[in-house]
Amino acid sequence: MAASKLQALWNHPAGPKTIHFWAPTFKWGISIANVADFSKPPEKLSYPQQIAVTCTGIIWSRYSTVITPKNWNLFSVNVAMATTGLYQLSRKIRHDYFSEPEAAVANDD
Amino acid sequence: MGILHTFWNSPIGPKTTHFWGPVVGWSIPIAALADSKKPPELISGNMTTVMCVYSALFMRFAYMVRPRNYHLLVCHVANESVQLYQLSRWARARGHSQKKDEDAGGA
Repeated sequence: MAASKLQALWNHPAGPKTIHFWAPTFKWGISIANVADFSKPPEKLSYPQQIAVTCTGIIWSRYSTVITPKNWNLFSVNVAMATTGLYQLSRKIRHDYFSEPEAAVANDD
Repeated sequence: MGILHTFWNSPIGPKTTHFWGPVVGWSIPIAALADSKKPPELISGNMTTVMCVYSALFMRFAYMVRPRNYHLLVCHVANESVQLYQLSRWARARGHSQKKDEDAGGA
């Protein structure tokens, strides 16, 4: 019974024999790289990059539900991208606009 | 006129998410282009390496998905190019800083 379930997954049109599986699976790398970069100082983060990652994540969550075959792997990975992107953005914004004393010191330099 | 009409009604045209998905996707290579003007010390080796593999895979995905999405394909070709460029800048800068450390150690 388990074997046939596994077989069904293995042969799925968006399964591991197809690009529909591997492309979205690898896309997790973007969110993982972002999580790794959580420890980077906010000065080193890139606004353009993180805004791009966040917006793509949001739009693509929608895209994944209307393509053929419907791709929940792609959906979940884009939700993760949007989440990590938003977190990185919040770190950088907090650093740039809400840590006043440091910002004042930096401006005096 | 005909070509505009075809485009407007295309299965990957502006009335569909298959169009707007890639439009937003362009933000990634455009962001990388903006970042290519900044010093290479700001480049994230992690993220850039991942982006290179990611766009390679998605070029294939864009070709195989239905409806076939050439817009997405072009977007990922562009991203692959700019990410590889950023990766080369990062690697070169890293090589320089490692060499500097070695020189300083040797001096």
